[in-house]
Amino acid sequence: MMHEDEFLRVPITMDLTFRYAAGRYFTHFFREIKDNKRILGVRCAKCRKVYLPPRPFCGECHSRMEDWIEVGPEGTLVGFTVVYFSFHDASLGGVRPTPFGAGLIQLDGADTSLNHYLGESNVANLRIGMRVRPIFKEKREGNISDILYFEVLG
Amino acid sequence: MGRSVAIVGTGQTVHRSRRDDVSMMELVREAATSALADAEMRASDIDAVILANMELFEGRALPEMWCAMGAGALYKHTLKIATGGTSGTSGAIAGFHHVASGLFDTAMVIGFEKQSDGQTTAGMALTDPMWDRHVASAAIGNFAVSISQYLAARDVDERHSAMVAVKARRNACNNPCAHLQMPDLTVEDVLASPYLAYPIHRLEMCPTTDGACAVIFACEGKAEKLCSRPAWVRAAVTRHDLPYLGDLKDRLLTMRTLRDAARKAYEIVGIREPIKELDVAEIYEPVTYAELAWYECLGFCKEGDAWRLIEDGLTQMDGVLPVNPSGGVLSTNPIGASGTIRTAEAALQIHGKGGRRQVPDVNLALVTGYGVYSWSDVMILSSSKG
Amino acid sequence: MTSGLHWSVEGLAVSGRIAVPFDYSAGKTASRFLRELRDHQRIFGKRCPNCLKIWVPPQASCVECFVETFDWVELSPEGLLLSHTWISSPKPHHPPLRPLIYGLIRLQGAHNNLVHLIRFDEPGELQNGIRVKAVFSKQRRGHILDIAYFRPI
Repeated sequence: MMHEDEFLRVPITMDLTFRYAAGRYFTHFFREIKDNKRILGVRCAKCRKVYLPPRPFCGECHSRMEDWIEVGPEGTLVGFTVVYFSFHDASLGGVRPTPFGAGLIQLDGADTSLNHYLGESNVANLRIGMRVRPIFKEKREGNISDILYFEVLG
Repeated sequence: MGRSVAIVGTGQTVHRSRRDDVSMMELVREAATSALADAEMRASDIDAVILANMELFEGRALPEMWCAMGAGALYKHTLKIATGGTSGTSGAIAGFHHVASGLFDTAMVIGFEKQSDGQTTAGMALTDPMWDRHVASAAIGNFAVSISQYLAARDVDERHSAMVAVKARRNACNNPCAHLQMPDLTVEDVLASPYLAYPIHRLEMCPTTDGACAVIFACEGKAEKLCSRPAWVRAAVTRHDLPYLGDLKDRLLTMRTLRDAARKAYEIVGIREPIKELDVAEIYEPVTYAELAWYECLGFCKEGDAWRLIEDGLTQMDGVLPVNPSGGVLSTNPIGASGTIRTAEAALQIHGKGGRRQVPDVNLALVTGYGVYSWSDVMILSSSKG
Repeated sequence: MTSGLHWSVEGLAVSGRIAVPFDYSAGKTASRFLRELRDHQRIFGKRCPNCLKIWVPPQASCVECFVETFDWVELSPEGLLLSHTWISSPKPHHPPLRPLIYGLIRLQGAHNNLVHLIRFDEPGELQNGIRVKAVFSKQRRGHILDIAYFRPI
């Protein structure tokens, strides 16, 4: 019945739906991936930095960017990890099976890197500087998961 | 810089993984009343209230509305600040600005987080839905990736990281408010704890905590009457960077926001050799490797020498520059409060109220805040107005 | 309700759905209020030692005076309906009562007002200024809806 030290809780699950406008730059970027399996960056005319993902303004120069450049598809692994703990994965709607590899990939021609999954989950086989290449989905939808993961080439 | 402002009182809750005995608002009140008691002030003496909280984590929009009552903020100028991990320091800097402006004589800043009410799933919504969100590895995974870059560039081995963890949890034993207090923790224990995400062992990562912390700012003229040894704010600098994880080359190592904020803060105060001139540092270190990388970013040592600082004990309680006598974020991490706790802990060192964690003769203290990928806040507190 | 994120690009938008399970602690004070609803079907407020106002639901400190409260005061389940509104198109997250009416109720003795559901039998009996009484749910779990609704008396 009633205990002085019984602390109650009120559980409430918030079911959130959302619809994000991709904007002109992401739309163009994802359409190229979906239709042509091409990955595009955008270059600042002033400082020559090539950004991935593409975006309208250079953060350093504050200038508008209109030069679209194909980058990759191969790149270099510039950071990596293997995740061992279970974590709720919103894109799966559940827990992603562990272990899984993830890392930062600098595609050839780009100055920034891309955060994505790796096809390798054994730490002993991962090193900064390894070459990687994207593995695309057969049926692409026009979003970042059109790249399933990056295969590590050694 | 505006007029001079000092911290005249601080208060904290007992920080625990679950504070089931209080609602969020009651948690805020616990910290607020503790700070008011410390400064011997009443709620009516406070002109402005700043609340710092990452409302996303508890799914409670407008915590400033819900917690105004607990903060003694009814009918007062009240603002909420939500800037990720830097919420607590951004809040402190906002409190300082309010008083420095001359528009308010006193301000109370309360950082808080009722983490146990929340869900880490919600934290996923911090990332861009188009780009970073799909990699479900959270802050831990992101740190791990950045750490791999740090390890490739530096002569640090995992023992150095474990030493940072041991320092933090042992220091925490001198802090009655701290969440994780582990007097017997050893390097071997840390390295034996399971990997969360390579190379981070569980005991190298910060906990999630319920807690709140309040800090009271007062203008010159009032501060001297309220506090026998006010902690004057001599510098307060904030820096942000580009939005995607992949934009930040060698994030931990470079941490250009922290380097630039620290450089600017040192320049304002006239500090040339931080490790010699600072008496204590409370830095926001979410993971052990970050503390090591940021020793270099903060200019405590030459590039590449961070491992020496921890190995030679220079940042221990009896070292030349004690880092995180409170136990740091590694011991206590209510996200919205963590930055305010750094501020409070640095201030109370100057106040001489550190108890068993008091560093002798503190005149100059450093505070840092860190958030999301690469946001940095730096404050310098001093026993002299300058 | 399907949990998870699903990607679809329709034109320029990416949509999805996330279910986030929050779990709020009531704290010591609200816990006692809820336990009293659940176990004894009683409604409690707390009185400020300074201004003597009684707040419901009870607060650990007075809303206006900022001092700690100590006195628990049982309130009548009856009160005055100060105002009400009809929700013409209820959403999935709303309680299942139909028609869906929320009212502002001043319980006898309380300083502030309670928001709760209103149910009536005769159309026309529902108007501001009438007396209403709490009706408790048969199944109670320590929740504000342990009071099912208020109805005119």
